[in-house]
Amino acid sequence: MKERDILSYTLEKLKAKGMDASCSLDQSTKYEMNVETGKITLIRTVFNNGLSLYAIKDSKSGSYSVNKLDRETIDEAISTVIEIAESSEPDPAHAIAEYQPSGAFSAGSREPDQELMYTRLEAFLDQVRTKYPKIMLENAYFDFTHGTRYIANTNGTDFTTEKGIYRFTSMFSGHDGDQSSSFNYTGYSTQELDRELLAYGSLESLLKQSSEQITTQALSGKFVGDVVITPDCLSDFLGYVFGITIYDGALISGTSVYKDKLGHQVADPRLVIHSRPVSPEVPDGYFITGDGYRAENCTIIDRGILKTFLLTLYGANKTGLKRAVNNGGCYVVEPGDKPLDEIISQIERGILIARYSGNYPSQNGDFSGVAKNSYYIENGKIQYPISETMVSGNLISMLQNIIDISQERVSFGSGIYPWIAFSEVTISGK
Amino acid sequence: MQQLGLEKYAPVFAGYTELRAHENHTVSIGFLKGNNVRNVKSTISGVSARVYQHGSWGFASSADFTDDSIRQVIKAASANAAFLDRKQNKGKQSLPARPIRAEHDYSTAKPRLTQKQLIEFVKQIDQYIAGKYPDLASRYVSLNCLDMEKLLLTSDGSYSYSLNPRSLISISFTMDKGGNPIELYDIFGEQGQFEDVFGDPSDLYPDIDQLYEQLRHKVEGVYAEPGIKDCILDADLGGILAHEAIGHTTEADLVLGGSVAAKFMDKQVASPLVSLVDFAHHALGKACPMPIFVDDEGTEAEDAVIIDQGILRSYLHNKESALHYGVKPTGNARAWSFADEPLIRMRNTAILPGKDSLEAMISSIDDGYYLIRPSNGQADTTSEFMFGVVLGYEIKNGKLGRAIFDTTISGVAFDMLKTVTMVSNEMKWLVSGMCGKKQPMPVGMGGPAIKCRVNIGGR
Repeated sequence: MKERDILSYTLEKLKAKGMDASCSLDQSTKYEMNVETGKITLIRTVFNNGLSLYAIKDSKSGSYSVNKLDRETIDEAISTVIEIAESSEPDPAHAIAEYQPSGAFSAGSREPDQELMYTRLEAFLDQVRTKYPKIMLENAYFDFTHGTRYIANTNGTDFTTEKGIYRFTSMFSGHDGDQSSSFNYTGYSTQELDRELLAYGSLESLLKQSSEQITTQALSGKFVGDVVITPDCLSDFLGYVFGITIYDGALISGTSVYKDKLGHQVADPRLVIHSRPVSPEVPDGYFITGDGYRAENCTIIDRGILKTFLLTLYGANKTGLKRAVNNGGCYVVEPGDKPLDEIISQIERGILIARYSGNYPSQNGDFSGVAKNSYYIENGKIQYPISETMVSGNLISMLQNIIDISQERVSFGSGIYPWIAFSEVTISGK
Repeated sequence: MQQLGLEKYAPVFAGYTELRAHENHTVSIGFLKGNNVRNVKSTISGVSARVYQHGSWGFASSADFTDDSIRQVIKAASANAAFLDRKQNKGKQSLPARPIRAEHDYSTAKPRLTQKQLIEFVKQIDQYIAGKYPDLASRYVSLNCLDMEKLLLTSDGSYSYSLNPRSLISISFTMDKGGNPIELYDIFGEQGQFEDVFGDPSDLYPDIDQLYEQLRHKVEGVYAEPGIKDCILDADLGGILAHEAIGHTTEADLVLGGSVAAKFMDKQVASPLVSLVDFAHHALGKACPMPIFVDDEGTEAEDAVIIDQGILRSYLHNKESALHYGVKPTGNARAWSFADEPLIRMRNTAILPGKDSLEAMISSIDDGYYLIRPSNGQADTTSEFMFGVVLGYEIKNGKLGRAIFDTTISGVAFDMLKTVTMVSNEMKWLVSGMCGKKQPMPVGMGGPAIKCRVNIGGR
């Protein structure tokens, strides 16, 4: 059976059993080049399929996923998802997306330029060796993934999406004799390879930083100071904040400290955060939400005011609140009006945090962890790289304690982030 | 899976080749405040080949188990290796081999429960909690089962079948303290399919009652005072220390990539009280939480003694790193899914128990902390580590005091381990270890409680 026939066949079978159902079929190919200790070590080709079924009957629901598309597997999958759904506890909040007009969406190439991938990767390794001789590349992964997804449900929705994207990640550290920096890592996504790999995201600046972080100083004592969060680190922090406040789990359980804050000020009025999964500035986005709706861009925080939760259809039905127009991610943070240097020049005492290695924040926003690959700031100047320094604070409070947002931003292909300075964070050394 | 008859493809191999059929089967059920919010199964399987040519590797995989697909995968992996070999021309030697033929099937002999029965089991636990503890602001009870089934053939003579299951129930409570949610969780279960791991829901009730009491203590808790403190890391934290802070730094690929352990071989890296082993399948006469008899390169797995009485003695190896260092491969190469290449991974990493009682250890501290339950952890190639701590207590004048809120501990492992002055005589395994290193991987981690000095975060 062809892809669309598989979807039709599956949905008809489920509908005949009195079920509301949605079904997605994926076909993907990944070409990947692996680097270990500065050398290309492996070329990897992965062909995969996916068939995901979600079925509801009498308010009982279940999901089953397989990755084979032969008739026998499909028939077994249909029987299994029926059994799973019929086993569940009823919950009237379960639902599938209502009818929407059909649509086909595509982005990026169908095939990688493998020769160019190899050339770019070799050039990257050469450039690191010559420009950053103290850097040891622990690993790097450079891949092109093309995926086609067919999505349909028994209400008549019918979407096809196609996406080809290059992704690069690398982990590295600086070394000089017996001394070494902490490792750091970064990554990005792009639809084109029109530049050298070093030119994307924050890669080159982090390699430069790791080269100078070989000798560090440990801070002593404890103080409450300012912190400047870098774009790499900010993406983690925003993920933490939203994870404990505006997704299904936190709102259904009622543990979100933002549960009554929709339309209210939750952050400094200069903070604007969008989620833009369907935007040319975020090439590694998505077209369709996990619950089968055409994804749209939205603004999550507008001038400090919480504008939307990120509820799925189930979460919306469960809480009586509005379904979000996307699944989040693809965050684009609006720039501020000051250059980064000027922001740092105003800090009396604090640190610049380039990587946070800490606990997953508590539901109330408390966090504590190690400031990795970070720098001590005093009297408006970056003084030296630091080690064995811990930071603790509260994410919910931090959003209200913004000192400044930088003009400069970094695009990772999956989001765009500036540097943000926050006040009143506890910093402790040895 | 064994019906695939992988051996018939051996004539197609061109040079060193691993051919692996692999299936991950998962079940996940969740109840959030009584709502059955998760009810999911998946079966993800396929075949992969990895080929080695003079230091260059080629890998290919496909979801299909058909004869054509298997032949195509071998051909594509061989072509990838040949392409890279032409470009890189590394000229490396052949890989060392320790071939073995083995079968290790941990599937249950009992009748399998249906999804409905599994849901009923979880629901009964949830109802017990709802009935007994109505003051909880939220509760989440989930069941997660993973069966990893692998069939492996290598060109150097290994043939292995394994089915390695793990079944875990996670319980998380949230209590409200003046609009401030305070959370605590614990995870129960072990290696094995559900029917072999769990009996009756009521078996978990004492653990649930203890979890509730611990949360009540935490709600009345305090922030830890930041700084270097005398601490007792209980067994679960000792386990995560063994895994994150020491284990990772001694994985040979990370050693080659710049880990600080490169300069410490045969040197004192810890107190003589500390011995640390990555066990293959059995430890101290008992089966480990994640027993590995044959790794995904077809190497017979054996224990790797990483630290022996404070001296660093061994790294963890796959075939290629063993070739580089001129030692035997230890059987540490493992892959998460059919589509993944084997990487050097830990199996069951633990500090060995000592002679002290936990009570004596607590009474030996005037001002410090007893840290019991970790959340996440991460370590650097410098051996600087951090672990989240979700359950701990003050120690004042040799006695347990108030509970503390969530915090983080950090330190440089090879420095911190030199501060170990007591090691408890009780060995425990953390049942739910899941390691992330490009691919996820279930692991065992464990040990005794240790007394040491460590940096604790707080306010």
